[in-house]
Amino acid sequence: MPWRKVLYEDQGYPDNYVDSSFLEQLQKNLNTRSYDYWNTVYESGAVTDHISATCLFVVTFVYLESGVLSPKLLILLTVASCFLGYIAYAACAVHLGETVHKSHLHVWIVIRTAVVFLLFTFSLSPILYTLTESVSTDTIYAMTVFMFAGNILVFDYGTTAAIVSESMSFNLAMFGSMCLASRLTTVLHTFSIVSFAVEVFALWPELRRKVNATHRGCKMGVSCGSVLVSVSALWSVSTVAAVLLGMVHFVVTFLCPRWLIQLQPYKNNIQGPWDEVSIVEKMEVRM
Amino acid sequence: MMVHNVCMVSDFFFPNTGGVESHIYQLSQCLLQRGHKVVIITHAYGRRTGVRYLTNNLKVYYLPLMVAYNQCILPTLFPTLPIIRYILLREGITIVHGHSAFSALAHEAMFHACTMGINTVFTDHSLFGFADASSIITNKILKFSLADVQNVICVSHTSKENTVLRAALAPHKVYVIPNAVDSAVFTPDPSQRRSDRTTVVVMSRLVYRKGIDLLAGIIPVLCASHPDVHFLIGGDGPKRILLEEVREQYQLHDRVQLLGSVSHEDVRDVLVQGDIFLNTSLTEAFCIAIVEAESCGLQVVSTRIGGVPEVLPDQLIYLAEPSVKSLLNALKNAAEDKRRGRIISPRERHERISAMYTWQDVARRTETVYDATAELPSSTLADRIHRYSHSGSGWVLFVLLLVIVNYLFWKLLEILVPRKKIELVPTQITKSSQREAT
Repeated sequence: MPWRKVLYEDQGYPDNYVDSSFLEQLQKNLNTRSYDYWNTVYESGAVTDHISATCLFVVTFVYLESGVLSPKLLILLTVASCFLGYIAYAACAVHLGETVHKSHLHVWIVIRTAVVFLLFTFSLSPILYTLTESVSTDTIYAMTVFMFAGNILVFDYGTTAAIVSESMSFNLAMFGSMCLASRLTTVLHTFSIVSFAVEVFALWPELRRKVNATHRGCKMGVSCGSVLVSVSALWSVSTVAAVLLGMVHFVVTFLCPRWLIQLQPYKNNIQGPWDEVSIVEKMEVRM
Repeated sequence: MMVHNVCMVSDFFFPNTGGVESHIYQLSQCLLQRGHKVVIITHAYGRRTGVRYLTNNLKVYYLPLMVAYNQCILPTLFPTLPIIRYILLREGITIVHGHSAFSALAHEAMFHACTMGINTVFTDHSLFGFADASSIITNKILKFSLADVQNVICVSHTSKENTVLRAALAPHKVYVIPNAVDSAVFTPDPSQRRSDRTTVVVMSRLVYRKGIDLLAGIIPVLCASHPDVHFLIGGDGPKRILLEEVREQYQLHDRVQLLGSVSHEDVRDVLVQGDIFLNTSLTEAFCIAIVEAESCGLQVVSTRIGGVPEVLPDQLIYLAEPSVKSLLNALKNAAEDKRRGRIISPRERHERISAMYTWQDVARRTETVYDATAELPSSTLADRIHRYSHSGSGWVLFVLLLVIVNYLFWKLLEILVPRKKIELVPTQITKSSQREAT
């Protein structure tokens, strides 16, 4: 009598009998995807974009602190770029077929939000200005590095990994800029840097996502542009840092995808009848 | 016939109620009836500490160890060696039988038994995944813990495949012995059913892995399409809110009854009130609930997951894919069959289950495993070091350190608390010490 995988009857085989159908339902590496090198390089632009933006922010701070950049000019630039950014965002949204007229993107709603935000920030600036005043400068710089590193780590690059947390990345970035803001001389400086921080870490990623969704070529253009801008901005401050940044960009863009593809053969996902069933897509029913 | 002195070890035992607990208790009772000596070690439950005797002089040691999380002790490894060594020597134990991969005490006791040269058996009661963080850690621990165990028992063939993969065991070392049900307790009583309605009974913890989300999707649809269907849901948990919301949204207060937590002795009385038993679990190694329901004479509808397809023959169960649509189909078929009278009678279901799954049979098969285990040579320290160092894992050095330190500690105890000074427990001659005919 052939052995069947049942428990309710005694089939005459010993309890530790191993049938030829043992582990037949085991499936390995069922849901893995194969990566294409150049596609991965293209997608890694998201990470380089964000690193460039962070570096640009730090360079702006350095200029603001040394006095080369005046806070009023920075505020003006922030507002102007916000305005241009909004137009670009709306244009991309229209291009993608989304409604702008009645949604949260409507002009008056946006202007109202911006005005409310600016007023709040301006009124809170004196407090922010003195928030980390008593901490020593070295500690401030170390904390800032950690905060921005954390921000880059948990930033939402478009994946659904467990480590990603949009709110946490924004919080880390804001705290980092708060640390830097405390080293500045007047309240206006603080207000300008905080507004610029919000623009760089909250609004610019949104615009980036919209632009990248619009056209494939746009993404490459944005990435190359931001790399050039950040490296040249950093060059004017410190040559060594600029070279390091260039190297980091090179590693992230060209070497990391190669490494990811090299690691794929080591994948060993096991699936079988013992897995807990996922019911996300099975909940719908016809009434 | 080989008489074994068995020590069952687990964190989970009476007064805690559950599958593992009743498994250990029933198995121990049947082994006692077959003439073996059985002793149980578990941790103290509140003020219940020390030595207690259960029915038929079943001795239970409630060790005063700190309970850390989920009824498990804090895994400290070395401090449990003196007391476990003392108990094993005093009772003259020849086989240590650990239960449940979640139980830290079981792993520790088996580790110490191995150090002392006593053979061990392990029973795995649950299925595990491989992908999430907690599974990876538990599988790693299991791999090292089961490397020293002589034989392993699993409750279903699917569970055997799962355990073999998780712990990298040789398949012939793993025995498949299913759970059983006490059919004297779970007897049918059709007079408890209401003839004017079809009652669907659900009896489980209300958690995600029991598929309560599927149940919440089924209830409104079934109640709408079948006006005579009523739901009787026993059990409690975080998903209870979901069911209450569904009941509220569709105004089904008179058709859906939530009983809350049902104590172990009342389960049968709730089950016999039903016509159909519904199990929506997303993962189960064996699923004793469907066997209990079958024994009480209900029709059974269940999801086709884990070890469930192996448990009951096709005539006794309606299997469905784990989706709302498929379960609704199966329930409709079951209700239709009942209406047409095309069902197996409760009495006959009970008779068939009583023949299929008995604790006496489980004990007989476990005895075979013990016989096989007793014949294997116990591992020496050299064997263990050799085996671990060839497992090729990064944790090898750490585990070897634990093994060697435990060995040295044991040798120290042999000097400080010599065996001659330990009073052995006198062998009792119990009333029913005759071996049951096989």
